[in-house]
Amino acid sequence: MNGLKLEHLLLEPLQQRWVTTEPDMNHAQLWEASLRLAAGLQARGIQRLAVYLEDAGVLAIALLGAWRAGASVLLPADLQPQTRQRWAPAVDAWLTEVADLEALYQAPLSPAVLDLDSCQLSLCTSGSSGEPKRIDKSLRQLANEVQALEALWGADLKDACIIGSVATQHIYGLLFRVLWPLCAGRLFVRKQLAFPEDMQRASREYPRFAWVASPALLKRMGDNLDWPALSRVARVFSSGGALPVEAAGSLYDRLQQWPTEILGSSETGGIAWRQGAQPWQPFADVQLSQDADGALRIASKYLPEGHVEQTADAARIHADGRFELLGRLDRIVKLEEKRISLPMLEQALMTHSWVAETRLGVVQENRASLGALVVLSAAGLHALRNQGRRTLTQTLRQHLGQHCEALALPRRWRLLRQLPLNSQGKLPQAEVEALLLAPRPKAPQVLEQVEADGEWTVQLSVPPDLTYFSGHFPVTPVLPGVVQVEWAFNLGQQLLDLPGTFAGMEVLKFQQLVRPGDQIELHLRFDRERRKLYFAYRNGVAACSSGRIVLEAAHA
Amino acid sequence: MSNQKSLEHEIKELIIEALGLEDISADDIGSDQTLFGEGLGLDSVDALELGLAIQKTYGIKIDADAKDTRNHFTNVASLAAFVTARQAA
Repeated sequence: MNGLKLEHLLLEPLQQRWVTTEPDMNHAQLWEASLRLAAGLQARGIQRLAVYLEDAGVLAIALLGAWRAGASVLLPADLQPQTRQRWAPAVDAWLTEVADLEALYQAPLSPAVLDLDSCQLSLCTSGSSGEPKRIDKSLRQLANEVQALEALWGADLKDACIIGSVATQHIYGLLFRVLWPLCAGRLFVRKQLAFPEDMQRASREYPRFAWVASPALLKRMGDNLDWPALSRVARVFSSGGALPVEAAGSLYDRLQQWPTEILGSSETGGIAWRQGAQPWQPFADVQLSQDADGALRIASKYLPEGHVEQTADAARIHADGRFELLGRLDRIVKLEEKRISLPMLEQALMTHSWVAETRLGVVQENRASLGALVVLSAAGLHALRNQGRRTLTQTLRQHLGQHCEALALPRRWRLLRQLPLNSQGKLPQAEVEALLLAPRPKAPQVLEQVEADGEWTVQLSVPPDLTYFSGHFPVTPVLPGVVQVEWAFNLGQQLLDLPGTFAGMEVLKFQQLVRPGDQIELHLRFDRERRKLYFAYRNGVAACSSGRIVLEAAHA
Repeated sequence: MSNQKSLEHEIKELIIEALGLEDISADDIGSDQTLFGEGLGLDSVDALELGLAIQKTYGIKIDADAKDTRNHFTNVASLAAFVTARQAA
């Protein structure tokens, strides 16, 4: 391979060196476009550039052009209006499509070595507070990463074309799909290919290829793919989140090779790699240590000089330097490689007037998603009663949608009277997740029960999230009469030792609706001679319903 | 219900089941409603999940070499047409 250092990419045009395809671009074309862009940026005095380009080839031009012009580059995570607004004061111009570059092209600047220490790139990630965090890197840090990757796997990849399923706005995609192949002289595919079928079609175009993918894709590759053809893949990289062991094993079965997992983040840069169920092997430039809680601390040439990055990942470091990860020490979760701060979403949810308290957790089912435990405010309960559960949850989802991407929106909602805090006033995360997995309640919550002269008075709370409310009725949930009778019967059995089984009902009266969150009083009396259970529900002074349940001997 | 309509209904149930959607019933999903992005609000991971669920449920294979196979996933009607065509094939 014809390796070039990152800082030397714009020194001279190389006709024989291919960068990308569809449409083709060789290094000489990249070189010229970059220098022309650099001239335009300088002429307009643009020094701070925000770049969001889906085409990795155009992105390469933008990055090199900006650096040649001495402009810093910010890669925002998305182009949502809030994101644009947030960064507006920090940038002079945005490059989001080819036309934006073309509008800037002028007679090219002269070729030059890029200054590794003055050239800047900033990445965006969600910090632990949930506020998007900007991470500034020098070109030197990036160049060090690229060199390490080529030293490890260059000989192995040879001239493989790089095909990626991940975005280039983040560190992993940027390094693996753009900067590394640019320096190594490997061809890369312009587009992010999010579906396995697209990956396969692209792979068929090249005699040698490698994948830059993520668990979201790798754990969802089906039998419809031509695995014998795909097993020519030179290497499968995975990063962004943990690849489940089963997914790695299934790839091994189909491709006869283990995927190569990369551990790292925008903040830390690359930390380590592994294949299969091995411990993590730190990259050669990385020095690991741990704080008192056992969380990893990272120092490396991929970080600013002298900086030690504290992570929240608990780890066990083996004598040979390799290590195992033991889980997060904070409430940041990853869903499909997206980092999500639960406290931030909880705060955002709390700003809605319908929410009194809330806790979020991860629901592990087909795909992992978020679920929310919510204690409604009075206004929230009013909304539930008069507009129904679906409107309530949709409204809360929409409210949250202003604060996070769609993927982080809770898919499961559980409405509670109060959060079941433990004796220390805490609600452990495992308990949150158990509550989210549990089915919605079918029975009332018994608050108090007293007996006088054979008659029981039972104080009941009607759970706001009773399973019967969804269909009865979607927009004005009320407690079905048949459920009231069933509750009376069930409680009667518990309290009065009823002989026999349900045989029918008499003089049923329904006078007032019972709704989510109501506290009601149930009176129960059993007439043994007539074998009839008398029941009456009251809400304050108002009678809700009453009737008699007729019983017959257990075995007729 | 015609065959087409009952298949569409079945696919709606499959979407709700496979993607774990709450507070939504098959009747709430329009056959021509866009599934991904705006519309029903599903994302690319849902698209991957649904691709697997459809193949498994109907014993069909998405032709990985055909271009634009994902166009079949635009809405329930296009998915039903796709399932019917693949089952006949």
